[in-house]
Amino acid sequence: MKRGGSHHAGRSGAKRAKRVAASSSADGSGSAAALAAHFHGIPLPGVKTEELGGSLIVVEGTDGSGRSTQISLLTEWLESEGFAVQTMGLRRSFLVAKDIDTLLEENAITRMTLTLMYATDFFDQLEHRILPALHSDFIVLADRYFYTLIARAAVRGIERGYLHGLYAMALRPDLTFWLDVSPEAAFEREFRKSHAISYWESGRDMSLSNDLFQSFIRYQARVRKEFRGFSARHSFIEVNGENSIPSVNLQLRKRIAAHLGIPRTRYRPSAALAHLWR
Amino acid sequence: MANDGMPNTQTLRAATRTARAPRAMGSSGGVGGFAEARRKYPGALVVVEGIDGSGKSTQLYLLKRWLEIGGYRIHFTEWNSSPLVKSTTKRGKQRRLLTPTTFSLLHAADFADRCERQILPLLHGGYLVLADRYVYTAFARDVARGCSSVWLRNLYRFAPVPDITFYFRAPLDVAVDRIIAGRPRLKFYEAGMDLNLSLDRAESFRMFQARIQEQYDTMVESDKFVVMDGTMTVNRLQKLMREIVQKRVDLGRFAPKRQAEAPV
Repeated sequence: MKRGGSHHAGRSGAKRAKRVAASSSADGSGSAAALAAHFHGIPLPGVKTEELGGSLIVVEGTDGSGRSTQISLLTEWLESEGFAVQTMGLRRSFLVAKDIDTLLEENAITRMTLTLMYATDFFDQLEHRILPALHSDFIVLADRYFYTLIARAAVRGIERGYLHGLYAMALRPDLTFWLDVSPEAAFEREFRKSHAISYWESGRDMSLSNDLFQSFIRYQARVRKEFRGFSARHSFIEVNGENSIPSVNLQLRKRIAAHLGIPRTRYRPSAALAHLWR
Repeated sequence: MANDGMPNTQTLRAATRTARAPRAMGSSGGVGGFAEARRKYPGALVVVEGIDGSGKSTQLYLLKRWLEIGGYRIHFTEWNSSPLVKSTTKRGKQRRLLTPTTFSLLHAADFADRCERQILPLLHGGYLVLADRYVYTAFARDVARGCSSVWLRNLYRFAPVPDITFYFRAPLDVAVDRIIAGRPRLKFYEAGMDLNLSLDRAESFRMFQARIQEQYDTMVESDKFVVMDGTMTVNRLQKLMREIVQKRVDLGRFAPKRQAEAPV
């Protein structure tokens, strides 16, 4: 929560509340403006931000950037440090996740509708998972956030201004990490993982190339360009995702430790997660 | 800072360049003079709006029958009718999971599906499209639920602007009594029970409809509504509606092609 003024000092629990109080007294009038600052311009109806504690930490990156691995490791580290963790990701809402899966399988959906179904999925999780968790002082780790959704829709030709307006009520993360990898490296990792490349990951709906590899590379390159575009605007913390997993993890831990006021960043994964540590 | 990511008129103009958005719905308040804007498709779009019980559906039905019987190329579409999100909406409503935001987004997704697969292709194919409720229903109802109107106006920017928007306005009591008399039980969201206006469904419904009507009223000028007096008799109102359609839409474009003269 960097934009409101008071920079991170210790736990962010009471910070949101303080900031609302501070900015509304500074404005003299508008608590509306102060409220909007917690979001991307427009406050979410019915949300009292002064009751929000915890922290929202986002890990973004294209397919094969190592996001999910890092989220698993961070969850274990934070829990070992005594923090309660809630995770979120795309297509995980109770309301529409299954419907989106079906629509994608059937490939019978137009891009505008898909964009809005993903938005529904996002806001359902925001309202029913993230906000309640923040109310209870949890650390929310987001495996992707709406930035991915904007990037995907934008490369399919939907206007960026429209998309930013759509997500204007999304809560501002405290920290957003961008695990950047080249499309070639992403391809290698994805292929190693599942021995195949999916229809959507390679952007085949966009008719970029009949060659799967070419299609994947071109599609991911476009998505990456979108990410570059909002990196500065949304204060992304760029991390080279091609570095080793332990080294990326250390970088993330350092920033998070500073944000949450954790004095040390030492961590070794448990036996359950040791296979990820390579 | 607070404006970060907000729609503005520049992005709006940019939207009109994209292939799927022939014309934008207008930013907050609907300024932008879209009624004068030239239509980029050969079809035409006529919509009816108004609160429940205002008589709009009856009137649109009669208009449709008139055009159907005359053999015109028309298509009729209803708000919230796409099979795509029907099951989701139903699940969300049954379990009362919907917030003002997700309620609004689901209806927008539903509308987008209909718009991209039905309304726009038909307009490009030269049909006269009749819509029972349109995006103004979302503007009125979702703002009444607490959504930001700036956000909503942006959300529906991909929707083509109607050639005529009939707004059926009946006194609240008349409209509400028509609905309550005809329905054994008002549904939860229909009655606006999620707004906690009143524990009594009929009373909540009345208050919710009052808020919606208030929102419709604010759009009369900005969105160039043709206001129809819902207290007039059905027949007189229908005559008036047909006159206005004839005057404002070149019906000849949708008329049946004349058969070649039969050989003598």
